[in-house]
Amino acid sequence: MANSQQNYFEMFGLEPNFSIDIPKLSSKLRTLLNSVHPDRFASSGAQQQMLSMQKTTQLNDAFAVLKNPVKRAQYLLHLKTGIDTAKDHTVNDPEFLMQQLELREELEDIVAGGNISRLNQFADKISELEESQEEQMSELFARQPLNTEELEKAIYKLQFLHKTLSDIEQAEDKLLS
Amino acid sequence: MALLQISEPGKSTDPHQHKLAAGIDLGTTNSLIATVRSGKAKTLPDLEGDHIMPSIVHYAKDGTVSVGKSAKLFVCSDALNTISSVKRLMGRGLKDVQKIKEFSANRLTASGTGMPAVETDCGIKNPVEVSSEILKALVKRAEESLEGELGGVVITVPAYFDEAQRQATKDAAQIAGVKVLRLISEPTAAALAYGLDTGSEGIHAIYDLGGGTFDISILRLEKGVFEVMSTGGDSALGGDDFDRAIAGYLVEQASIDKDDRNAYQMAMIKARDVKEALTDHDSVEINFKHWKGSMDRKLMESLIAPIVDKTLAACRRTLKDAGLKASEVQDIVMVGGSTRVPLVRQKVEDYFGKKPLTDIDPDKVVAIGAAIQADVLIGNKSDDDMLLLDVIPLSLGVETMGGLAEKIIPRNTPIPIARAQEFTTYKDGQTAMAIHVVQGERELVEDCRSLARFELRGIPPMVAGAARIKVAYQVDADGLLKVTAEETITGVKSDITVKPSYGLNDEQITTMLQSSVSHAEDDMKARMLREQQVEAKRVIEAVQAALAESGDKLLSKDERHAIEQALKQLAYISDNGDIEAIEEAIKVVDKSTEEFASRRMDASIAKALVGHEIDEI
Repeated sequence: MANSQQNYFEMFGLEPNFSIDIPKLSSKLRTLLNSVHPDRFASSGAQQQMLSMQKTTQLNDAFAVLKNPVKRAQYLLHLKTGIDTAKDHTVNDPEFLMQQLELREELEDIVAGGNISRLNQFADKISELEESQEEQMSELFARQPLNTEELEKAIYKLQFLHKTLSDIEQAEDKLLS
Repeated sequence: MALLQISEPGKSTDPHQHKLAAGIDLGTTNSLIATVRSGKAKTLPDLEGDHIMPSIVHYAKDGTVSVGKSAKLFVCSDALNTISSVKRLMGRGLKDVQKIKEFSANRLTASGTGMPAVETDCGIKNPVEVSSEILKALVKRAEESLEGELGGVVITVPAYFDEAQRQATKDAAQIAGVKVLRLISEPTAAALAYGLDTGSEGIHAIYDLGGGTFDISILRLEKGVFEVMSTGGDSALGGDDFDRAIAGYLVEQASIDKDDRNAYQMAMIKARDVKEALTDHDSVEINFKHWKGSMDRKLMESLIAPIVDKTLAACRRTLKDAGLKASEVQDIVMVGGSTRVPLVRQKVEDYFGKKPLTDIDPDKVVAIGAAIQADVLIGNKSDDDMLLLDVIPLSLGVETMGGLAEKIIPRNTPIPIARAQEFTTYKDGQTAMAIHVVQGERELVEDCRSLARFELRGIPPMVAGAARIKVAYQVDADGLLKVTAEETITGVKSDITVKPSYGLNDEQITTMLQSSVSHAEDDMKARMLREQQVEAKRVIEAVQAALAESGDKLLSKDERHAIEQALKQLAYISDNGDIEAIEEAIKVVDKSTEEFASRRMDASIAKALVGHEIDEI
């Protein structure tokens, strides 16, 4: 496969940074897909079709990683340091562990109470925490040399907040149906 | 195959010859075929002027097969040999469908395909064969009306169709002898029909309420690119439920025993009339059995409102999957006959806060959109016109310990896509591993749909947990899945046996193809040779076009010479050789252009990136 050595950032003509303009990225994805998508090769030979499918698959895959802040952070850390946080990694951060337990308890209480507007308020709170966590992540990645221990902690926190948000969504689904 | 040239008024046919392509809406109850002529997509009528073809097939004792209106005549007189709603059987298991009322008159039986088959007086017919009869009838209608052979078709499938159902649809086309350019989802097709007519950019919701199914899709159109953001719905919710609710009221009013099936059937027919009458009138008189009464629109609406509300709940979930609010939706496209019911239009308008689009006939809109896409894919339109980006409708996963389903590709992931997951052995010296591919959102495997079972054999004996088995899923642009498994530490590639849970294997398809196309083997061979020659011609034209466009820039003299030699060879063999020789010569051309094709792809990506940056400045 030609150019498969390219990293996900390079595929979109970007420098490897944590901050990414997502609307711009998705519009870039569309421009790229416009020239390589299998629909462009529906009446070409089997070989071209295969190639086009591979390229499109790579682009879709890269986009899925870059668009998701947790996956992007994990990918970027791995790219720069070789550390793989996606594989059973434990982080020692007692303070955050406490906060985590409190947030989970709060969510359980709200779900048990069945109050949608309280759930939405809680979702806003987590979103805010996530946003500031992302900002911190940007700063950590901009520092030289990289503080890998801090980054691993930050990724872990972001992952937790992300997971909590998706749990909130599921809880909302259940409450509404 | 000589493709007929059709010139549009005021345009010459050269240098681009107009190829014939069609869009097919292969529906549960009705099917349609449409094509683009003189720049406009239209559904094609039969000789009597009817555009809609009932999706009904009748098999007579003497082997005569009739399809559509002529088959409908047998629904009552010869129910046993008449098959309606075959779409509900596609890619399903016998257990899935035994309760479906449409088949109460048929003799369903297990078949070697895993799918239920229907016993008729002229043999056992599996759903793929039955569907292929409908496709054949539609294609025949188009080819007669267009006076030429179709170069390819786009067939629509419901967005919620899983793997097995999509594959079965594609197999049906293969047996019918039509080339499938692409399978696209029905709501996407509907959006295409409207998107191009109105040219509006933004977020579109496609609300498709048919007789027995409900489907909602959120699409984004930007810079000519159509992107499916999320899909949802309910495969057991539709206008028939309206009839059932009204019939329930009638039965109650007339104090009829609920188990009186005949009376209930009559009530259903009456209910449909009442529903249709109340579309245009405020009140209607009813005579049902000994009961005389009336129903006004308000009463009917109170009966069907809970069903309409269910569709809105699905809308809410699907919007959430796309990360959008109802107010962000720019257009709502209405598809399916049941969207003619005023309450449906009203509730949809209230929910989204704007009037839904109803300009195009909701029964024809899907076929029209499919025709537009077929016209683009066959190459009648210039490249940068439009692009469709689709997603997988249901999560694809694998069974893990304890009967749990682990998701490998989540629903609404854009396709084509590839994902891999690593697994390991749990016993010392384990040399084989069973892999069960499932589809669905539920946590337990038994609640998901079983797609295929694989066995990976020849794993070198190791201690438990040491082997690394990589299971890779690849979904192509039609939404069809290919799964491979490999032990990665030793690099030993092991055998995989694939057994589709509900579908045909290649051998069964070949057999059906042979028996359906012609009984004479010579005809079959001649047809295959002709197809191979067409393929050769297509390859030659494609490579020549590529050479003309970028041969000078991307190839050295020697490289170009080698490709041209291979082309010459293929052209000669195509005229003088047999099927195998042509196949071989095509492979030689493919090999010689491998590097060239790859360079071209990279060049076009580089160009797209550069062009983009200039746009942004």
